[in-house]
Amino acid sequence: MRFQRVSKAVAVGAALALALSACAPGGGDTGADASKDANAGGGNGSAEAANSGKADLGDITTADDTINVTVGAPEFISYNGFTPNTYSTYNSAIVDRMFAGFSYFGTDGTLYPNEALGSYEKVSDDPLTIKYTIAEDAKWSDGTPITVADSVFAWAVQNLNLNEGSKEKPLFNSVSVDLGDTVPEGPQGDWDGKEFTVEFAEPDPDWALQTWMLHPAHVVAEESGMSTEELVSAIRAGESDKLKKAADFWNEGWMTDPGKLPDEKISPVSGPYKLGSWKAGESVTLVANENYYGPAPATKELTFRFLEDASMVQALQNKDVDVINPQPTVDTLAQLENLGDAVAIQKGDTLTWEHLDFNFAEGNAMTNLELRKAFAMCVPRQQIVDNLVKPLNPDAIVMNAREVFPFQDNYQEVVDASYDGRYDEVDIEGAKKILEEQDAVGTEVRIGYSAPNERRANEVSAIKSSCDEAGFKIVDSGSADFFSPNGAQDRGDYEVALFAWAGSGQITSGQNIYATGKPQNFGQYSNPEVDAAWETLASSLDPAVHAEQTKKIEKLLWDDLFGIPVFAHPGLSASGSDIQNVRHTATQDQIVWNAEQWVRAE
Amino acid sequence: MWKFIAKRLGSALAVLFAASLLLYVLVINSGDPLKDLRESNADNREYLMAQRVEYMNLDAPWYGRYWDWLTGASKCLIGQCDLGRNINGVEVSGLLANAASSTLRLVVLATVIAAVLGIAIGVLTAIRQYSGLDYIVTFLTFLFFSLPVFWAAVLLKEYLAISYNDWLADPQISVGTSIAIGIVVGLVLQMFLGGSLKRRGITFFASAVFVPLVLQYSLWLNFYRYPQMGPAIIIVLTALLALSATAMSVGLKEKRVLYPALITVVLVLAMYYATFYMLLEPNGWILFFGLVLAVVIPAAIGRFMGGRLRKAAMSVSIITGVAGAALTIIDHLFRAWPRFLDVKGRPIATIGSSTANLEGGFWDHFLDNGTQLLMPTILLAVISLASYSRYTRSSMLEVQRQDYIRTARSKGLSERTVIFRHAFRNAMIPIATIAAFDFAGLIGGAVITERVFGWKGMGEMFATGLDHVDPAPVMAFFLVTGTAAILFNLLADIVYALLDPRIRV
Repeated sequence: MRFQRVSKAVAVGAALALALSACAPGGGDTGADASKDANAGGGNGSAEAANSGKADLGDITTADDTINVTVGAPEFISYNGFTPNTYSTYNSAIVDRMFAGFSYFGTDGTLYPNEALGSYEKVSDDPLTIKYTIAEDAKWSDGTPITVADSVFAWAVQNLNLNEGSKEKPLFNSVSVDLGDTVPEGPQGDWDGKEFTVEFAEPDPDWALQTWMLHPAHVVAEESGMSTEELVSAIRAGESDKLKKAADFWNEGWMTDPGKLPDEKISPVSGPYKLGSWKAGESVTLVANENYYGPAPATKELTFRFLEDASMVQALQNKDVDVINPQPTVDTLAQLENLGDAVAIQKGDTLTWEHLDFNFAEGNAMTNLELRKAFAMCVPRQQIVDNLVKPLNPDAIVMNAREVFPFQDNYQEVVDASYDGRYDEVDIEGAKKILEEQDAVGTEVRIGYSAPNERRANEVSAIKSSCDEAGFKIVDSGSADFFSPNGAQDRGDYEVALFAWAGSGQITSGQNIYATGKPQNFGQYSNPEVDAAWETLASSLDPAVHAEQTKKIEKLLWDDLFGIPVFAHPGLSASGSDIQNVRHTATQDQIVWNAEQWVRAE
Repeated sequence: MWKFIAKRLGSALAVLFAASLLLYVLVINSGDPLKDLRESNADNREYLMAQRVEYMNLDAPWYGRYWDWLTGASKCLIGQCDLGRNINGVEVSGLLANAASSTLRLVVLATVIAAVLGIAIGVLTAIRQYSGLDYIVTFLTFLFFSLPVFWAAVLLKEYLAISYNDWLADPQISVGTSIAIGIVVGLVLQMFLGGSLKRRGITFFASAVFVPLVLQYSLWLNFYRYPQMGPAIIIVLTALLALSATAMSVGLKEKRVLYPALITVVLVLAMYYATFYMLLEPNGWILFFGLVLAVVIPAAIGRFMGGRLRKAAMSVSIITGVAGAALTIIDHLFRAWPRFLDVKGRPIATIGSSTANLEGGFWDHFLDNGTQLLMPTILLAVISLASYSRYTRSSMLEVQRQDYIRTARSKGLSERTVIFRHAFRNAMIPIATIAAFDFAGLIGGAVITERVFGWKGMGEMFATGLDHVDPAPVMAFFLVTGTAAILFNLLADIVYALLDPRIRV
């Protein structure tokens, strides 16, 4: 199993729940151009971005001002957002502003190095070895230099081999736990130096997503009564018993009652902002880290307010908040549009996509390829996009790929190589013919999804009115426990599952969905060719091979009809028109991904 | 009596225990605590699920989990509560403290306002039963009662916050609007004050002329951005109040009441100057002691000078003293207002209980809390107004039909005495019970009000806990609201038992 995805905190993977619970009708956005015109909604006079990464603001001084932002109602939890309990998109939206990483995701999911913290380069393919260099002036907000010790500690946190007896009981209660096996030796280099190398046991195409910088090692060492050097050598020697106190501190030491921040002495930061104040239940204020070594944050204070979606638009209108990130719904968009010039609306696709997946379990009607073809012919994808997505965005398009998104540069190339457009138009007659040939007229197709979800219910009814005509008998079997143990999905009581995956910046994530016997291969699909292609892709470090195999896999999945992609979920956020540099991102970093660049126009 | 109380207490505990067991089992079976992870496509889904199962002890049987909670919670009896942690690893006791304090702030003022206004309206509509006023007020209270909180909150935010803040940037009231406001105020006033047709007409015309003039004058003064009062107005108002309170209670000829009241007026003026600099930057204690002095000193004066009429003298002096103190505070608030507008340009925010990191002194924070409390308080008060006013009205009507009221009237007592001394007091008995229960219920929080105004109170804690199928916060909520409900119930029982020996079985 791979856990890297989680190690990129928010951006990657885990928060699909958000997408699945988005029960309101929504829509896509500017389609293929989303990343290119990401600047459009940025308010007046924003710095022009050269690519999907952060714009270069030049030499800026921090404005003495406060920008209020809300990403949702859940309360701030902890400085340490890296445990399974504290890890959430909402907590990450705040703590990610405080910790620098070696890389970050651009608006279209492209990975960019964070040059402020340092640089990294691959020095060897076999074994895969990466050399990291921490910037000379990089230091924690308390003045302690950021060194290899911090990276060694980040490795320790994600290392199951440091445990109390067995891997079931790791010392560090972390969301990401596999670095101990994928990088058995950990970061190599002087503990107080600025350079280290990591050597992977297996080739890993997603090596750049690994987290090598988390929390301050010197604070953990001091709190557990060791010197930093002792901590590092205990970690490297794998002496779990010596690390017990350090792990206890890491697990619990930063947890505080709501409204009380941990002492500033034990919570230094490596990013542009540090914790300023916390008003329980209402807001957390981050203040600029005066010891930050990278480009100065544009605004001194950033206040995160915890607001329900329903109160966001009025709060924006009353200037109580400056940037909001509501669930995209037609109603919310209409309200925002009513505010006219006072607000800038950022729209765009997200890395979450809706799809219909077949059930390949033995005995299921959908194991018959011809029936899958007939179903694909009658699903009115264009109509679904027109009716349910276009009210939000006239430019939305039907998605024809699984591993790439319409707004990514290689989308057209992959689609051209894998799909000939045969299911673009609804073909009732064709579907009818197949059903008659197969003697399957009246086949019951139960479409399952996690209810209640208005948009999905509407999708199913659109499919029903089209496919019933062709001779299928479509049943809406959405239920609240569709994905629960003993729910319809678990029992296999469905023909088609309608849900969404959150795409990640990870290259190999699809293997878990499409390869035989993998945990997220819900429909028990199996094709040796697909397995082999994934194997080739996952064991190669060559982008050309990745591109090649992706096309191959997409084509196989289209030919086999693993499932039918429908559309990319839309994203929506808005900001006061006086706030500059607010840019939409497709990743799960959400709108706050470049919050340190926001500034109020003079 | 003690046996009765012990019996009641015992059964209350048993009810609490049974209810907690029932609620616990219902909560842990209300959904799937792993739902969000189950639908996740993170590679380490299985690991995360195993971690959560272990953390929340999901593998244990329901009675095991309940027992764990119960042993922690029962330590509350010895003052060492362990209410567990929520799904995010946060101590529930900390969450509870914050939630309870924010709910209390939200609810107490609203309940008091609703009770006072509701009772006043109830009495008024009972006295003028079947009048136009009665019908209109009845219509309005039912209208408010049936308002969906959510929708009403959106309207309040739109008009009271957004539009008001926009308007305040450059306050303007056109002549036409002023006249319209004057007419409306005139119509309402004549209805409330009542009287003969001639008197109503005079009331109406006086206010229809006076109000527009005042509005235009205040605009000319730029009153809405730079409000001002000053000692002269304070003194005039306090003196007027002293005179009318004396006149209404015993008549102006009674020097034993009039003099203490007038002395209090002079003291108010003296205190205004004496405390002026202290009150420019006070703290909560100064205000509290000020209020205590504003009660104690006039009371003492009234007691010494009142002689036979010391009771009336004391109450008139206290009213005068408190009103003077309140006006002094308002004067300082007026002074602080322009500065407050500098630190908070749009004074009424649609969300939150106060502004985070607000700069400025005591009065700025005072005003900030006040402006933030305004909308939720209005909303909650307006909605619970109906029940108080209707109960009071019917209770009053009932009492007014009693024989002893007729006897009181036939004795020749004034209408005022009959209504307030004899009818109102007896009509209040059932209302007291309702108020006790109402308050107990409100501690449970006004879930929707909290949500739309962005306060995290008790209701929010309950709803979030239930959403995550996370028993600890839900049970903490239950512990407080359940205990409150049972305590108030018990209190009512005991009070009844004290009042009515027949209940003690």
